[in-house]
Amino acid sequence: MVKVGIPRGLLYYSYFPLWRAFFTEMGAEVVVSPETNKAVLDAGLRSALDETCLPVKLFFGHVLALIGSVDYLLVPRLISVEPKAYICPKFMGLPDMLRARIPNLPPLIDVDVDFSRGTGNWENVLSSMGRLLAGDRRLIRQACRSAQAAQSLFQEQLEKGWLLPEALNGAAGERGTERPAPPPPGSGRLNIALLGHAYNIYDEYISMNLIERLRSMGAQVSTADLVPQSVIDEQAGTLPKKLFWTLGKKMIGAAFAFCDIRQFDGMIYLSSFGCGPESLVGELLARWAKRRRDIPFMPLTIDEHTGAAGLVTRLEAFTDMLLRREKG
Amino acid sequence: MELYLGIDIGSVSTNLVLLDPLGEPYLAPLYLRTQGQPIKALQKGLAIIRDQLGKGDLVCGVGATGSARQLAGVLVGADVVKNEISAHAVAALRILPEARTVIEIGGQDSKIIILRDGIVVDFAMNTVCAAGTGSFLDQQAFRLNIPIDEFGALSGQACTPVRIAGRCTVFAESDMIHKQQMGHTLPDIVAGLCEAMVRNYLNNVGKGKDIEPPIVFQGGVAANQGMRAALEKSLQAEIAVPRYYNVMGAYGAALLARDQAREQVGTGFRGWQVSTMPFQQRSFECKACPNACEVIEIKQEREVLARWGDRCGRWGITGEADQAALQH
Repeated sequence: MVKVGIPRGLLYYSYFPLWRAFFTEMGAEVVVSPETNKAVLDAGLRSALDETCLPVKLFFGHVLALIGSVDYLLVPRLISVEPKAYICPKFMGLPDMLRARIPNLPPLIDVDVDFSRGTGNWENVLSSMGRLLAGDRRLIRQACRSAQAAQSLFQEQLEKGWLLPEALNGAAGERGTERPAPPPPGSGRLNIALLGHAYNIYDEYISMNLIERLRSMGAQVSTADLVPQSVIDEQAGTLPKKLFWTLGKKMIGAAFAFCDIRQFDGMIYLSSFGCGPESLVGELLARWAKRRRDIPFMPLTIDEHTGAAGLVTRLEAFTDMLLRREKG
Repeated sequence: MELYLGIDIGSVSTNLVLLDPLGEPYLAPLYLRTQGQPIKALQKGLAIIRDQLGKGDLVCGVGATGSARQLAGVLVGADVVKNEISAHAVAALRILPEARTVIEIGGQDSKIIILRDGIVVDFAMNTVCAAGTGSFLDQQAFRLNIPIDEFGALSGQACTPVRIAGRCTVFAESDMIHKQQMGHTLPDIVAGLCEAMVRNYLNNVGKGKDIEPPIVFQGGVAANQGMRAALEKSLQAEIAVPRYYNVMGAYGAALLARDQAREQVGTGFRGWQVSTMPFQQRSFECKACPNACEVIEIKQEREVLARWGDRCGRWGITGEADQAALQH
């Protein structure tokens, strides 16, 4: 059986259900790199170029973890997933960066994903991938259908309030059931909106277990995945100038939507040091969210250091403040 | 008398404040250098306090804060372990109940706390960069061969403070050397440095915050008249420096302990013998998974008081310790 490796990083967090269903249906075995640990990160830091960002370095580590155990490596060249908006430029260069830095790389499935002109779609992309695996046309068509069904179920579960890891590991159930409703305001429990790239906030290692820490401090955590795409487009459209980064747009759109929901007590924005788009998006977000509503907002930055003390102090101070505000 | 002890162990100083039931300092607050040995500094402080107490004096509550609050809490048996933001806010409000802004600049970190009606509504701490904190002032005073206590007075003699690039202390230092070689006077350079540090603080920590008077300035750097003058000039407002400006964290921790004592019976305080108990600390690398966490263990004779540093919690002594891993 052909083994297709999927590194657990970057857009794995957005498209894994699509890719997993497609390659499984094609008769391949899907191998995912292990969850991030110190060894994976260290390998990535050694291998990647210094001027890239933490998540890209980590992606290198995940690629290295798969070498030797897979026949193909899925690293699509992600340029754009919607008209007139783009993914970060570092994602475009990912297959090239890997080839330049890592010897003995298995063959990459690096089909271009570029929907910026409004012509491409996932079916075409998946078909190209399927042809690389020399599948027949009927099988490819069938695999495409399964893949898109899996992805839309995933989206549905996210919009019903399940956190991404829960939707990925099946905790959300077969068909999207509602997640237990968040507690009402004033109940002594906090509702916190957590913004940031999915590949940062859901990676327990580099986010230093942020979501669990917040939950143990009595907070219900909601992320941008909860917000339907139509709402994100509409909310982000209120900015005076159109944002052309898909991921940044998602964060800003979601942040604005959260501002309009009274239930949220505070907003946390997690970014990784050295991220180009975030240096602008984070500023825009902080300023415009404040104009919308005086919602407590805390930026957090993660980098290669491992000490969680600084993070814990900030989270404690933030939740403390929110609880006192609620009481006062 | 019933007394409440507050302990603040920071990177640079270890402070202890003992309060009477009315919340006034019972003894002169202690400000000791941590010098990289928090346990030693804490024990020294406790011994000094113990020697000044009479027979009827009884500690009825202990609070700990600062970056080593967890450590202090375990060693002393604290009733409250709180983050620095909350502790500093509580102390500032005690001194000036109508305070709306707290500026705190310490040895390695700096923070801003925005208060409205006695509640923390916003705060920020410096990020990974320690530029513009006490350590840098210390370092420059040493380089210029001026005792740090005279630093502030010297800047008061300035006629035309020079402009120094304050964005990064590495740049600031080379700029200062350049100015001094050009023939600028020492007071002008020192005053320029204070202004640069204030600019840095306001642009980083204070960015986007609604800084309104009354303003309280605390932390070790508040001793520096030059910094205070530069802040007043830049903010166009009068700034209050509390009498116990350099131990406000410990003061706040003691106040929190006093509040806590009203809600609980008895105290966890382990007694003054803590000052002479032999504690052993060691750290080791856990081999149970590739994360290779650095675990810290604090022991008193043969009894393990605490362990931390592990991501998964397997070394926690209160939970289910993984006996197999203990036998490494």
